Amino acid sequence: MTSLLYLYLPIAGNSVNILAIMGLGGIVGLLSGIFGVGGGFLMTPLLIMMGIPPTVAAASDSNQIVGASTSGTLAHLRLGNVDMKMGILLLIGGVVGGTVGVQIIKILRQMGDADFLISITYVLMLGFVGGYMFVESLQAMRKSKAFASQSKKESRYAQFIRSLPWQMEFRSSGIRLSVLMPLELGGLVGILAAIMGVGGGFIMVPVMVYLLRMPMHVVVGTSLFQILFTCINVTIMQSAQNHTVDFMLALLLLIGSSIGAQMGAKVGKKLHGDQLKILLASLVLVVMGKMLYDLLAQPAVRLAYMGGH
Amino acid sequence: MKRCRSSWLIGSCLALFCVVQAHLASADAVSRVNVTPTTIPMGVGFNGATLQINGEVPAGSDIVLRFVGKPREEHMRQKGKVFGLVWMNRTALTFKNVPTVCLVQASRPFDQLGAAAGTFTLDRLRQAVKVEEASACDGDLDVPAELLRLKQQEGLCRESVGGVRFGPETGGVQPFEADLKVPPALSPGNYTAEVVALKDGRIVGQAAVPVTAQLVGLPAWLNNMAFKHGTLYGILAVVVAILGGLLIGLVFQGKGGAH
Repeated sequence: MTSLLYLYLPIAGNSVNILAIMGLGGIVGLLSGIFGVGGGFLMTPLLIMMGIPPTVAAASDSNQIVGASTSGTLAHLRLGNVDMKMGILLLIGGVVGGTVGVQIIKILRQMGDADFLISITYVLMLGFVGGYMFVESLQAMRKSKAFASQSKKESRYAQFIRSLPWQMEFRSSGIRLSVLMPLELGGLVGILAAIMGVGGGFIMVPVMVYLLRMPMHVVVGTSLFQILFTCINVTIMQSAQNHTVDFMLALLLLIGSSIGAQMGAKVGKKLHGDQLKILLASLVLVVMGKMLYDLLAQPAVRLAYMGGH
Repeated sequence: MKRCRSSWLIGSCLALFCVVQAHLASADAVSRVNVTPTTIPMGVGFNGATLQINGEVPAGSDIVLRFVGKPREEHMRQKGKVFGLVWMNRTALTFKNVPTVCLVQASRPFDQLGAAAGTFTLDRLRQAVKVEEASACDGDLDVPAELLRLKQQEGLCRESVGGVRFGPETGGVQPFEADLKVPPALSPGNYTAEVVALKDGRIVGQAAVPVTAQLVGLPAWLNNMAFKHGTLYGILAVVVAILGGLLIGLVFQGKGGAH
């Protein structure tokens, strides 16, 4: 029983509809291009719903994000939206933080109930990040209309970051910051991403916007640049240790998501920074709502294979 | 005298051999079964397979077809409530005697086939599954039944009625043919296609044909690379992804660019 529309995936151990997988890649790629997030937090659950084992879905998704973020980074580079210096510093912090996070998760698993802690961290992080971004963007949109000419008073946080040592100029972002800031915040995101098992784009983007005070359009390109390297590392590690990367699945997703990412970069350029933030916040809140529902509603089958969440 | 005793011994052995052969022949001959194909190629376009099964059964028999894999151990987690509120994967459970696949197809509903047919139902399969440390299970949940439900969702366990076509009776036997659909989630390995003939509530014939599912072409090559040269496979996957991303990026640039 063969069909041109279906492709057999040897690592996932199932066949999939080519158009459905490419379409899924296209939609997630579009969001990735607009918001600068890898889309793993959306793609992996959708792949699981299509019959792909959870471990294969997560690992193959990392593989496709490599392609999509290459395409997306290229598009943003052309638009001058990538702060390479900031991206490299965040990446260094992220690699160190990720290594620490992996050790933390090992300890949590030994203590038991790690799955519970992971899920709760996920929901709380998504809720906090999404909620804060939503409210802040809404306020910013209202203020910009009412007090367009009003000058800003320097906050205590701004005074604090100006007082840190090793200040450096980040020309692409148009800001001056201590080297410690991207290193430490990159490390923090790395720890959270490792605990939650995601690329960390949806945490990194708000960190760049609110804590590093980078302009939204540079945030998107720089986030994609950083995600590219994180996912290269994950793909190789997963292939070598767990054999869970399905290259054919990744390739199908990649075709869809790369095209989607290119279109997303163009759409993102047309949107105002606050509009981008409020859309991303809504997306994060929707995913949080779905996760919360999954945690509270009784599952259809009360058994799961070992290894999946 | 000696020759007489030897002749008697040889004669007895021959008689016994003939009786045994006749018995075996009666069990086998009633269901001379052909299965096509006996090797399922799992190539790029594999999306499950249809096995064509035909043969002869005693006239007036009903048929149960089964496609089964070797039983194995499954390690699972039972979902339970944490703090009486949140559903999480909790108790680790080990199931023994779980067939990788069990597809059952009967010519008529099982409750009309008599007691012997019960042996081949999924419910009997559920009873055969053993749970290690059953005391660890939360509450009074029937965990083998949950396992079966999960396998049914994956298409790896199925119980269906119909799809068996009988030909005209000749000489006390009746030809039959049936199509048995095998799911795309099948793993490569060895399986058995079984045909059971039932009449008046008892088994009147049984036959089994081995069927092999094997990866061929690109899926076989990729599977070999992924499991035997994991790091190289990962590096290649990354390189192809980067090249693919760059290529698509360039295509878009050529069509007017990102500006």
